[in-house]
Amino acid sequence: MTTMNKSLIHLLLVCCGTGCVANGAREVYQALKDNLTSDDKAVLAATTSARATGCHGLCAQGPFVRILPEDITYCRVKAADIPEIVEKTLKQGEVVKRLLFRDRQKKALVQGQNDIPFYRRQTRVALRNVGLIDPSSLQDYLERGGYRALEKSLLDMRPEQVIEEIIKSGLRGRGGGGFPAGLKWKACAATPAQPRYIICNGDEGDPGAFMDESIMEGDPHSVLEGMIIAAYAVGASTGFIYVRDEYAQSVASLQKAIEEAENHGFLGENILGSGLDFDIEIVRGGGAFVCGEETALIASIEGHVGEPWDKYVFPSEKGLWGQPTIINNVETWANIPVIMERGASWFTSLGTEGSKGTKVFSLVGKVANTGLVEVPMGTTLREIIFDIGGGVPQGRKFKAVQTGGPSGGCIPAELLDLKLDFDSLSQAGSMMGSGGLIVMDDRTCMVEVARYYLSFLAGESCGKCVPCREGIKCLLEILTRICHGQGEIEDLELMEDIAETMQQASLCALGRTASNPVLSTLRYFREEYLEHIEGQRCPAGICRELSEFWIDPAICTGCGLCLPRCPVEGIKGEKKQAHRIESDKCIRCGECIDSCSFQAIKVK
Amino acid sequence: MKLIIDGKAFNAYPGDSILDVARREGIAIPTLCYHEAFGGQGSCRLCMVEVTAGGRSRLVASCTYPVSEGIEVKTSTPAVEKIRRNIIMVLYKRASGSVLMQKLYREYGCSENSLGEKQEERCIVCRLCVLACEKMGTSAISTVMRGIDKRVGTPYDQAATACIGCAACAHICPTGAIEVLDSGNIRTIWNKNFNLINCERCGQPFATREEIDYVSRRSGIEDAELCFCEECRRKKLVGKMQGFSPC
Amino acid sequence: MSEQECEENIEGFRRIIYGFPGEKRYIIAIMHELSRCYRYLPRAALELTAEYVGVPFSQVYSMATFYRAFSLQPRGRVNFKVCDGTTCHIKGSNILLDEIYKNLGIGPGETTADREFSLETVNCIGACAIAPALLVNERVYPRVNAAALKEIIKEYRGGGDNDHHE
Repeated sequence: MTTMNKSLIHLLLVCCGTGCVANGAREVYQALKDNLTSDDKAVLAATTSARATGCHGLCAQGPFVRILPEDITYCRVKAADIPEIVEKTLKQGEVVKRLLFRDRQKKALVQGQNDIPFYRRQTRVALRNVGLIDPSSLQDYLERGGYRALEKSLLDMRPEQVIEEIIKSGLRGRGGGGFPAGLKWKACAATPAQPRYIICNGDEGDPGAFMDESIMEGDPHSVLEGMIIAAYAVGASTGFIYVRDEYAQSVASLQKAIEEAENHGFLGENILGSGLDFDIEIVRGGGAFVCGEETALIASIEGHVGEPWDKYVFPSEKGLWGQPTIINNVETWANIPVIMERGASWFTSLGTEGSKGTKVFSLVGKVANTGLVEVPMGTTLREIIFDIGGGVPQGRKFKAVQTGGPSGGCIPAELLDLKLDFDSLSQAGSMMGSGGLIVMDDRTCMVEVARYYLSFLAGESCGKCVPCREGIKCLLEILTRICHGQGEIEDLELMEDIAETMQQASLCALGRTASNPVLSTLRYFREEYLEHIEGQRCPAGICRELSEFWIDPAICTGCGLCLPRCPVEGIKGEKKQAHRIESDKCIRCGECIDSCSFQAIKVK
Repeated sequence: MKLIIDGKAFNAYPGDSILDVARREGIAIPTLCYHEAFGGQGSCRLCMVEVTAGGRSRLVASCTYPVSEGIEVKTSTPAVEKIRRNIIMVLYKRASGSVLMQKLYREYGCSENSLGEKQEERCIVCRLCVLACEKMGTSAISTVMRGIDKRVGTPYDQAATACIGCAACAHICPTGAIEVLDSGNIRTIWNKNFNLINCERCGQPFATREEIDYVSRRSGIEDAELCFCEECRRKKLVGKMQGFSPC
Repeated sequence: MSEQECEENIEGFRRIIYGFPGEKRYIIAIMHELSRCYRYLPRAALELTAEYVGVPFSQVYSMATFYRAFSLQPRGRVNFKVCDGTTCHIKGSNILLDEIYKNLGIGPGETTADREFSLETVNCIGACAIAPALLVNERVYPRVNAAALKEIIKEYRGGGDNDHHE
């Protein structure tokens, strides 16, 4: 729980993460401020504080207004609800029931955030402050214990002790590769060349992942603090935060934080009197997924096209402008201050043998509670998707979960009890990536998913090396052919053959993992490929040439919901009588299937 | 420094790549994007080899892998051969118009496969042309776009101000993908026309006015000295040397 | 900076470009600023950038075509970005693309003849929890369907720019 100023009676936290802002959170926040200040006796203004915070996590239910100290969480709040909240809750101490979270399983209203099943099983380490503090306020961060770890590291520890602590914590890079962070630091510190650089990789590019965005927006100082500690540990004087082009709000939030940190002596010359000089500069990316790759990111900062180079010598020895450089991603940096403050042994008490600590996942797709989830490493997919995420909505069936973004793979229902960590995921033919979890139901065609990822990579590969550039092109052509019903059985083996060469011979991790979506779907959903090729049928009803829909008259209630949704007026039927699809008109868009509450519309 | 390549020990200098040593010792490793003038780019990946270092084996690009003491290199293993065959297979699909690619395609035994329609292009995007142009100091061409659309071109695909028509790009191109059209005294390259200068000795057209001006400006040698074609310049030089010859 | 201050001439270009240090590493930052002012990268501005930071024009052009944030063609006053990230994709981003084409006659990468509207697809704007998402200029619209899209287009037609929103 966040600390409150003593004169305050109420603290209101309004989620202003990207998702909630899109749903009108700024207007909610403004309405709240207006209502507080327009109070005639000015009592509220003096005793209540409203904070625009970062992402609360459960984006599907936003915008949120959380009221402390009672811990009342209101969901899906609109600006028009504010007068009622002020009047009833703040003035009269009553709860506005209609705005509470509805627990569908228990059929009950839930008041406190931690009683919402989505939050109950989470352990928030990297996200410890996100949603509780106003990211633009250094004061808020300090009240939550911010910069204490920096003080401890700089004033009570020697640089090598700091590195030793990070090594002992077993912290592995959260950006994808999972390389032990402490070893990077050690290698960098051991390289004699000066100057040395610290880079924060904020080029979160995996479609379906937004955990780094929420940290940069919601708790920017935690990233800065982690970087400053590293600067002290390895003797660096300049840091860069490379932020993905699309994240305008992150840039603004970080910029503000840097200014505040400079004003308070956490950045700049002689930090906390320790003799450390360190500055941080923000670099905006140009919109290139491949720049999530360390060496491509470095090339981009230097002012080149974002093409990677062979990492036979690591950036920790030869990185930015040829100098020793540490690159870690946002979530990794946000973990550093907690580790330094609470100690490596606390951190290692969380997680599994090979993967310590927690991991933030963005849980999205066909799942009821979409949003950001932080759990200890080793939590199973089932717990995340069903217990926290509330399962697949609309009564549809779970089919697969895609982990690790375009470089990852699709994991089937049989592996739902897989304990998520770096090693278990790569054994399953996928990877941790930055932590995207995209849930897919039986309306998702796995061949089309593989095709989608390859078409994504076709545009996002840098195009430098042959196995990646030409391999992706070949795989994409073959997959497109299969989706159009022109696949041949030999294609499957050919794809596996090309995929293997891409894995072994590509220059960077993007190319080496680019075939994972194909290989993992071939491994777990081969049947579906065969259906497309031999059966000339797309079981999910997604590939248009291979789909035909019909309405099961035994199930259809004739509710008529699908009629207006059909863009070609291809559904016929009287009210309360079974409808039917005129197959010569049907364009197989699937709108009717998604609109049917009874699952009466089937794929032939 | 010592290393072992295919069972034999060799000496290497610090900073050498595996390919540097192999080339020096006459060990064949196939390449497409490598030229000794520019060093390794690591982009065609045809030069992949198997390296054992510190007890761990891995596949690496020999043109960019820096040699370290005691490593063991195998230049031709089944895994390496398979990679090379597949690289040729997918590259051939892009550039089946190139004679070199046709030859490699046959040599590597890339059986007919269902890779679909072949493109009749010749460029394999090895970028030797871009590097050659950069080395000339002109940098008139570069790679443009990215991903599967990556290609080489001039800005806006128009005649580039910076181009001097030297055709170094075309000379270095391994697949003959860059068209240079010399017709009478006009050279056309990269959508730009140049007047060709005739050799003062044999009268054959041999270089563009822009190239001679550019070389003269950069080297400080006077134009008049540069107005001979390569062959005549050599003959002239030999003539001079004979003149000085003590015998 | 207002539209007037961003005159599309060499004076305007100089004002922007010379505001940065003349080093290679500021090329992307310069391009961002040019894009913000002109909604694309004018050729003369790129030539000036190359000269200013001391890099061959071909390399600046190479970067302009490499990075997705930049366009060499003018974008519309209202720029639609349809998110085609995985989540938005499986939640029907293609329906939005079809609908925009039906209403405005433009596909991804195209601009209407009057330079009012342009359309592009982006890979993921990090708004997966509210998919499918649509970005209009800098504003995010959540869970957009065909009907909502019609409303949005109507909102922006005829000079509406919704500046009062985020």
